[in-house]
Amino acid sequence: MKSWIENIDKPIKYALGFIVLVLIVGNIYTLINLGTMPFFSPNYLLQQLQVASFLGLIATGMMVVILLGHIDLSVPWTLTCAAMTATAVGGDGAMLAGLTAGLIIGLINGIGVAFLRVPSMIFTLGVNTVVQGLMIVHTGGYAPQTASTPIMNFLATGYIAGIPTALFVWAAIGGLIIFMLNRTPMGRYLYAMGNREVAAYLSGVNTRLILIAAFVICSLCAAMAGILLAGYSAKAYQGMGDLYLLPAIAAVVIGGTNILGGKGTLAGTVVGAILIVLLQSVLSVMQMPEAGRQIIYGSVIIGMLLVYGRAEKKES
Amino acid sequence: MVEQVAHKRADDSDLILQLEGISKRYGGVKALSQVDFSCKKGSIHAILGENGAGKSTLIKIISGVVQPTEGTLKVAGQVQQFASPTQASEYGVVCIFQELSLIPDLSVADNICITDPPRNRFGLIDKAEQIRVATDLLARVNCADVNPRELVKNLPLSRRQMVEIAKALGRKPKLLILDEATSALSAADVEKVYEILRGLREEGLTMLYISHRMHEIEELADRLSVFRNGEHIETFDKGARSNDEIIEMMIGREYSSVFPPKPTHDDKLLTVLEVENLSWDGRLNNVSLTLGEGEIIGLGGLDGQGQHEILLALFGVLRGYEGKIKLHGKEVAMGSPKQAKSDGSIALIPEDRKTEGLMLPMSIQDNISIATLDQLTKGLIIDKSAEAAKIAEMIEKMSIKIGNVDDAVATLSGGNQQKVVIAKWLMTGAKIVLLDDPTRGIDVGTKQELYQLFRDLADSGHSIILYSTDYDELIGCCDRVSIFYQGEIIRELTGDEINETNIVAASLNMEISGQQAGTMP
Repeated sequence: MKSWIENIDKPIKYALGFIVLVLIVGNIYTLINLGTMPFFSPNYLLQQLQVASFLGLIATGMMVVILLGHIDLSVPWTLTCAAMTATAVGGDGAMLAGLTAGLIIGLINGIGVAFLRVPSMIFTLGVNTVVQGLMIVHTGGYAPQTASTPIMNFLATGYIAGIPTALFVWAAIGGLIIFMLNRTPMGRYLYAMGNREVAAYLSGVNTRLILIAAFVICSLCAAMAGILLAGYSAKAYQGMGDLYLLPAIAAVVIGGTNILGGKGTLAGTVVGAILIVLLQSVLSVMQMPEAGRQIIYGSVIIGMLLVYGRAEKKES
Repeated sequence: MVEQVAHKRADDSDLILQLEGISKRYGGVKALSQVDFSCKKGSIHAILGENGAGKSTLIKIISGVVQPTEGTLKVAGQVQQFASPTQASEYGVVCIFQELSLIPDLSVADNICITDPPRNRFGLIDKAEQIRVATDLLARVNCADVNPRELVKNLPLSRRQMVEIAKALGRKPKLLILDEATSALSAADVEKVYEILRGLREEGLTMLYISHRMHEIEELADRLSVFRNGEHIETFDKGARSNDEIIEMMIGREYSSVFPPKPTHDDKLLTVLEVENLSWDGRLNNVSLTLGEGEIIGLGGLDGQGQHEILLALFGVLRGYEGKIKLHGKEVAMGSPKQAKSDGSIALIPEDRKTEGLMLPMSIQDNISIATLDQLTKGLIIDKSAEAAKIAEMIEKMSIKIGNVDDAVATLSGGNQQKVVIAKWLMTGAKIVLLDDPTRGIDVGTKQELYQLFRDLADSGHSIILYSTDYDELIGCCDRVSIFYQGEIIRELTGDEINETNIVAASLNMEISGQQAGTMP
């Protein structure tokens, strides 16, 4: 019987190790310069988890699409569109309106990829631009004057028993996705199609339906993240999603999901999202100049992937 | 053979190509063994053989695509070791492969000159010179009317074939190899290609010609060589052997009784599947067949005559077919594999198990249950205990040799992988099983198990359509065999008619003189 440590995926192990390393290096730095160790305080960590839950939600949806070997580049404006729709509608229907916007964009993405057979990278990029244009029409190019509803504020910034509510949202949606991946036919079909779409199709799997469902899940996750982010800032604004696309893809890949599809776990994606948020936070506390932060951030992603590549070759 | 060797020594200078003791192994599989072969200057030399006789390996070795495991190759008397097709063409050996190698979005001239375009003094491609070269070459193949500036994709298939020949001529070959060069052409177009080839022979060019069309060879070739099981059987001048003798040479081997006995069906089998006048995209022409309950019918013929397509049509993969598919007397419009599976209880064991049948990196159990998940789901959730029980039952029933059901299916041997594909489908409760060359690359022992399994399935009420490139399988397994030729069923064999002579003759669309074993009482 293997010990539980051996049973953890290699990428998760590496990523967890790297998280610990980042925290230790950060603490040593602050200990020398400021004489404190802020990065081990529960408050700091909870706050980082709260920030990570926005990225984590987006990465969760992105992972479902990447498992199929596809990608969704429309996430930034899907997120913004959902946030703007929610704040514009306001009231009790705010969140529902935002999620509906996400659902529609997901359906368009899915149909484009499944039926029109346009490569997802191109199609979703196009959809992203179209949605951006629509939102500029909607706002007239100015910052929208509408505000988020109290429930959105609570979900994004509130606390339940000392724990940020956003974390509960992330955990709930993550739990649903884990359930879907591990217990339902849909999950099995996702992995099967990611490995060999032809074989899945010839096994009588409705591959188009699965494709559309995956893009819908991704867009709904992005929409939910948009709603939370609007709650966090108390408003929706242009470009609020622009910072999330590449980190979300990086989180998925650092978590060990194969960018070509067929392999990956949500646990890995969660660890990947936390790693990215912590790295950014520690680097900024260390007052690393922006240029240096970018260089380290990019190098870490490339470095982790190189390590995984090596590890996999050794296994096989 | 002794005579031949003596003859060869007498006038070596007359030979453009000599192979001595050439063997080629792929892993444990011997594709060619100890082949001695030679080819006279200025002749059209045809190579004959069944699928898998070693013809393709032979031309790949001659044209430098693969290197022989042992033996020597001489071109014009000089020993050569070609590391690549480019090197082979430097010595005048040029091959036109079965699939056209033209790039559709480039112009005719660009395609013709692609390997070594003429350059101007700046090292850039000299377009004007390129057009001139292309015009000359096109004139040589009687295609002066083709505009060298035209994009290849705008040309009809027959013209493309001519451009392909012109391109090969541009490399100034001494030996031109044509691998099934006419397989895509209609009879009228084929005639034009013949004229060109005969003209080239007059110019002193040597050609190695590989074709499955017997009448083509009769019309064109000066000499013929027969290959079988990777061995060179005999080389002779045209007319020296009768058709019957040639077929005898191609079959040659005995087949052992690895097959279970066939039952004698009474005439009235319940018809489960009917196909009426099915046509698709020029690759299937008015195919009609019926399949009875408990029956195994075979699809024979050479590779690529439409057998693969008819199976895909029945499984709902082909879109826009014409004609009718009837299940239990009721017409159905087959739209997807999912529909074929759920409405028709049809299963397809695809041609290429590694890319179409299996998700290789996934586990054995995931692969077996993938087609049955909808049946194993309670509410939203896969019933994992029911799934595990069913999988264990299938592994037991099919005697699949595995370590652990969690292992990747890629770790299994070819035979066991194929059993996994079949297990996947039997688990769905499929009643009609379409087998697309199911024993390709599988060891003899497992083959025997599969033959028994096919017969057991038929006896328990399944109906099977078996496409095989191996004649023995058709003879040993099938109650009836339909022979395909250019998308049509040209002959149906039943009972004792199913023998190698008839199958080979029908596959080549060739009339046989005299003894037709067992056709008439």
